[in-house]
Amino acid sequence: MKVEIEFDSTWKEGFLERLEQDGPWSSWDLYQLSLEVAHRLSIPDFYGLQAPNHLPHLTPLPHQLEVAKQVVEKMNGKAILADEVGLGKTIEAGLILKEYMIRGLVKKVLILVPASLVSQWVTELNEKFFIPAVQQKKSYVWEQCDVVVSSIDTAKKSPHKEIIYEQNYDMIIIDEAHKLKNNKTKNYEFVQNLKKKFCLLLTATPIQNRIEEIFHLVSLLKPGHLGNAAYFTEKYGKTRSLHADEHLKSLVNKVMIRNRRTDTGIEWSKRNVETMIIEFSKEERELYNAVQSLKNISAGSPFSLITMLREVCSSREALFVTLKNMLKKHEGETPPYFNELIEKINMVTKNSKAEKALELIQSINDKVIIFTEYRATQLYLQWFLKQHGISSVPFRGGFKRGKKDWMKELFKNKMQVLIATEAGGEGINLQFCHHVINYDLPWNPMRLEQRIGRVHRLGQTNDVYIYNFAVKDTVEEHILKLLYEKIHLFERVIGELDDILTKVELHNFEDYLHDIFFNSRSEGEMRIKMENLTAMIDFADNLNKGGTTYAAT
Amino acid sequence: MQQHEIHHFLERYFRANQCEIAENGDGYLITELTIDMDKELMNRPFYWHYIEKTGGTPAPMTLTFITKQTKETEKLKGERLHFGSPRLHQIFQSAQKRGSYIRLYENIQPSEQQFVPLHPWLGLNVKVSYQCDRKRDFLLSLGLHLINGAIVEQFQDRLEQLELTPKIPDYCFTITPLIKPQSGIVRLEQYIKNMIQQDDHSWADEALKRWQEDIELLDHFYEEIDERPECYYIEKEALEEQYKPRIHVSIINGGLFYLQPRPNVS
Repeated sequence: MKVEIEFDSTWKEGFLERLEQDGPWSSWDLYQLSLEVAHRLSIPDFYGLQAPNHLPHLTPLPHQLEVAKQVVEKMNGKAILADEVGLGKTIEAGLILKEYMIRGLVKKVLILVPASLVSQWVTELNEKFFIPAVQQKKSYVWEQCDVVVSSIDTAKKSPHKEIIYEQNYDMIIIDEAHKLKNNKTKNYEFVQNLKKKFCLLLTATPIQNRIEEIFHLVSLLKPGHLGNAAYFTEKYGKTRSLHADEHLKSLVNKVMIRNRRTDTGIEWSKRNVETMIIEFSKEERELYNAVQSLKNISAGSPFSLITMLREVCSSREALFVTLKNMLKKHEGETPPYFNELIEKINMVTKNSKAEKALELIQSINDKVIIFTEYRATQLYLQWFLKQHGISSVPFRGGFKRGKKDWMKELFKNKMQVLIATEAGGEGINLQFCHHVINYDLPWNPMRLEQRIGRVHRLGQTNDVYIYNFAVKDTVEEHILKLLYEKIHLFERVIGELDDILTKVELHNFEDYLHDIFFNSRSEGEMRIKMENLTAMIDFADNLNKGGTTYAAT
Repeated sequence: MQQHEIHHFLERYFRANQCEIAENGDGYLITELTIDMDKELMNRPFYWHYIEKTGGTPAPMTLTFITKQTKETEKLKGERLHFGSPRLHQIFQSAQKRGSYIRLYENIQPSEQQFVPLHPWLGLNVKVSYQCDRKRDFLLSLGLHLINGAIVEQFQDRLEQLELTPKIPDYCFTITPLIKPQSGIVRLEQYIKNMIQQDDHSWADEALKRWQEDIELLDHFYEEIDERPECYYIEKEALEEQYKPRIHVSIINGGLFYLQPRPNVS
């Protein structure tokens, strides 16, 4: 094997110049110091990690070091880091990046993260890793700075896109990479056309719904690793989960590392869960019944009907927004039930849940995060709490990056309450708070995990309190019963449920629930179906406890 | 690098650069920078420009470095240094820059006023890097006798045993090199090349294998597409950058050494 040898000639030029001009020459001391520096900075081995020696103030957890080592030594610097929420994927990515920078293999780096996380990444890389990362604010930053953090939405737009394509990046890091699961999107295309010498894709949920998602993700990183599209569909198209196919699993594990909380051996602070069943007022109940009765006249799709029921449980405002949108769709032609519903909405004078929330917040007397699925509810709650002298901060996915940081800081330093909608929940770290109110419950258990993961993560020193609100005798109570009493969701460590749902191949858990609620002809049928579902989950649970544990996926 | 080693390094670095060490305590070091070193380390060109233009009195800074956490240093205001901190790396870079080129003479006191010839050597300290998607470095220290062409390894270790001085000592004279320093460098480069070629390069074979495997996967990925899209070529280029084995040789520092001839050396 003949490898080309490159001689750096810069020293030689300087030397010849000095010979000609008879100096200047260094002192013997400086000469020795210079050589000592070279000794200190040289990399003695292809294997092992140098980064920890450079970061004595940082104590990475064993699983984080293991990930970094594996990516560098076994995965050639291209990997999907898929640890569960809260296990420190950023630390892992930072370690890997630092390692490559120390080894001189990486200089120019592009880090693409959700807008809300940009400044968090910049701070962590600078403070924890001494990596001079810069937030992309002006277009010259792409060219002039070596380590740039930006949102993918900015990066993919002109003129940024063109400038980025001209840069010669050594490493690309993408956080929340599950957003690239669909190969038909602009984001996907943008990343596909980036040159990826070394590449890290970070996601806590590498597969959310369909097995193809992992194919697309892996194909960004290492095209062909799972075959081409035709091959994959033919071979694994019918596979419902990674566990179902050993071969596929082992292939994926060559490019993906997934640690679970249970594997890490870390002691987590306790999680206390309290269910609060709320009684509707007479008017609220009437509104709820009115919506429910629409089922008999079969108005709208089952989906929108259940959505409307859930909205009534949240706030009349949430329902009103939906009705208004429906009206738009009907182009002004009011469906017969419309006026009746509006009338019922107008009759509602109080929000029983909001009153309960107020009472709770006052008694907690500490920082509280309220999660709701609906923006209208968010606005209402903010107004309602203000009426009672409690200032709160809203948080949404759509906020610009600066605003998100500002809101987080406001919450941390000034306000008691943060009201977040679903999309706002992703990626922000709020360990300084340990009370969470689930004002309404998402039906996708994984999203519930994401919510709780905001506060119950590494660095949380307090026990975490979770309050689940549900209105008595509504779909909400059914769901809560299932999630809480039957699946024991809230007591589980994060990620366990993922395992279980995978085992029973219940990826579209939400659809399944919709089906139960809408297609059951009686309460009795609904109960039986729910019990079936519970039994399935129990079954998988037992398998899980007695059976094998998976190192990855 | 241990904290006490960092401390020792700082001490030598500032002394070597003529900076007064005001205090050298347990776990801390206070040094008064010279104008030159202030310019080197403090990054305040505007200040120096202003002072020079207005003829003001220059006030170089005094720096406090903390290398160990003690009761005393806890109260001290200063920069905490550890291996990996940006300031230390800045000092490393400065040391490397300032210690690149040298010319020294062996300091000998000849007896009976007899003139002693000093033979010219070219000394080089070299870093060799093997690089693919991984990397390893090793250092070489070579000396070339510029009269007879003999090459010795671990040259630096030999130098460390001697007493060296920047000025030619009394009663000593230097012998003019027969081999010009420029061609001396070429000879040493050739020597390094031979050394490298005899080394084990399974690392490169393995990298080529990984590279080839990934190329095959890539080709398979696009095999059913008649015209390869642009991202195919981008990916291929990325694979080359990722895996292609390269060997890089750079000179850390070096220079001319005039040494007394010894029977065992040349």
